[in-house]
Amino acid sequence: MNKAELKAVTGVLDKGMNRQLLYYLDVCTRCSICKDACHQYVSTGDVLFLPAYRAELIRRVYKKYFTRSGLFLPSLYEGREVDDRLLDELYRSTYACTGCRRCMYYCPFSIDTTWLLGVAKAMLIAAGRGAQILTELAGAAIAKGENIDLFKDIMLDLNKETEKELQSLVNDPTAAIPIEKEGADILYAALAGVHSILPPAVIFHKAGLNWTLSLFESSNYGYFLGDAEKGRIIAKRIVDEATRLKVKEVVISECGHAYRVMQYLYETWANEKLPFRVTAMVEIIARLIREGHVEIPSGKERKLVTYHDPCQVGRNAGFYDEPRYVLSQVASNLRELTPNREKNWCCGGGGGLVAQPEFDEFRIKTGERKAEQIKQTRAGLVVSPCENCRLQIAALNEKYDLDIKVTGLSDVVANQLIGRDIATSFEAGQAEEPESED
Amino acid sequence: MNWLSFLLAGVLVYVAVVAFLVGTAFRIYYWLKVPRSGIKLGIFPQTHGRRRFVQWIKDTFLFPQVLDVDRPMWLFVILLHIGGVAAFVGHLRLIQEFTPLANALGKEGMEQFSLISGGIVGIVLLVSVLYLIARRFKSPYRDISTPEDYFLLILVFMVLLLGNHLRFFGQVDVEAYRAYVHSLLTFSPEFPAELAESGTRWVLVTHVTFSNLLLIYLPFSKLVHYIGTYAVNLMRSEAR
Repeated sequence: MNKAELKAVTGVLDKGMNRQLLYYLDVCTRCSICKDACHQYVSTGDVLFLPAYRAELIRRVYKKYFTRSGLFLPSLYEGREVDDRLLDELYRSTYACTGCRRCMYYCPFSIDTTWLLGVAKAMLIAAGRGAQILTELAGAAIAKGENIDLFKDIMLDLNKETEKELQSLVNDPTAAIPIEKEGADILYAALAGVHSILPPAVIFHKAGLNWTLSLFESSNYGYFLGDAEKGRIIAKRIVDEATRLKVKEVVISECGHAYRVMQYLYETWANEKLPFRVTAMVEIIARLIREGHVEIPSGKERKLVTYHDPCQVGRNAGFYDEPRYVLSQVASNLRELTPNREKNWCCGGGGGLVAQPEFDEFRIKTGERKAEQIKQTRAGLVVSPCENCRLQIAALNEKYDLDIKVTGLSDVVANQLIGRDIATSFEAGQAEEPESED
Repeated sequence: MNWLSFLLAGVLVYVAVVAFLVGTAFRIYYWLKVPRSGIKLGIFPQTHGRRRFVQWIKDTFLFPQVLDVDRPMWLFVILLHIGGVAAFVGHLRLIQEFTPLANALGKEGMEQFSLISGGIVGIVLLVSVLYLIARRFKSPYRDISTPEDYFLLILVFMVLLLGNHLRFFGQVDVEAYRAYVHSLLTFSPEFPAELAESGTRWVLVTHVTFSNLLLIYLPFSKLVHYIGTYAVNLMRSEAR
């Protein structure tokens, strides 16, 4: 590593320094109580995944280059040079983290490891070592934002198909999935795929909402990559669209990190106030049911159902009661995971891990706690309002023979609304052709 | 007082107190100088208003969530901190006798009380710090430990060991210690005759020396959590 490269990497710690980070660097006593909080450390026993050690890697670089005591006596702090070995360790410990912040819950100093790893990611990016797949995915999302006119026609065509599916599902030929509707109350930012569009569309249709579908997916690979600038640009696509259409509320699909980005990070990243309200899907479903906008037909599911609190929905956003309230409206037999709510184990797939094949084996191994938890409930259906969690739990289902189905919260509600088994999945082309002559 | 005692149990005491106070102020200044990120890092469920205050105090002083994952550690850490405060309060007796208590118990009774309570605290502290030292030698704690961790533990251990030695084997009356502390307070450090002639003097000088070193290093070490913990635990409940 030459001098300029070194300066670029350590410069991140210098320029990116903020008070929160400094507190965390200074206050940790390496008591390692976090060892029992992290599913990855618990499953592997590898110190690299001990939350305190992940943070310690950054601290050792910080001590070495930026503190008087570290300059004077680096060995007292095991201060470390930035070299390939350090960057390798940093890469493995940082990009493996799912950002669940369970360690923060148990830490006696409430240290937010993800905040420290945010800097580690920025250092890796400065060293040209940002996670490749995440970089590509973020790049693709940005390109889509810049060239939306190229994509628009295909999207509108696809949407017509989806709309037909909706009409068939709700048995109403006037049912619509509006796109670019100015003056709509709600802009719904879905994920790529009809499974993320149809269930909310059913619910919104039944509730008679004035809504419109975003041209952009809510997921944000810039955030997973740890590149705040890319994250900002990706989120800005939706912000600009919402502003242009003058909507009052942006509803984020069942995707944990997308909500976190829009609700908690974007305003600081972009240094601007959002002119609309940001709502999570779980939040709006609960609201629509509570306020009587949608009426859930009787005949609740009686089979055993369990709910997995996604870290970004529960611990990091505070939606514990809303999803449970919604589930209680459609299923009569809910059995909680142990532990649950703020103490719930991470599924092991968050933080962009499910998108990175290099972590496939690792995330299955480190999902063993989740698999055990699910097994203990004996439930046949796992509901979780986060795409990453669902993908990971579906993978765990295969590897650990859990014999379960995994689905989202809007899926079970939409199914109940249209009188189907709540575990039915929403896939493209599954709806029967409408019986009209069309 | 010979020159070595004068240096270690006299001059160094002032240096330590000043270093501790200035160091603490310096650390706070340095933290506040760095701009704060606007991103709120709180986790949920969140509390507000008065309940948030109560939560903050609870998180800072009791960290109840640790009970779920590491009970022995929780116990020894709590004992260490309570013991530390108790020891500090006990030492205040060397500045000013707790008169109401001494009147109630009588001179003999007060000595008895001091021996028992101080003895218990001393032992509890020593056991707690020994637990922390032993824990450091076990994986994964060992893998993450730096020389700083051992250095601090050894300092604390030495302070406690020597303090306990003074308590249990010291041949010197409390009045002698009080006279020494008063000499420090009047900026003319001196050992009274009883202390100066006793072998206990050397134990006292070492006890004070290690305490000084600990005090000097405290603000610049990871133990800066004695002030930092309030800020970080408040961030835990920071709402958007």
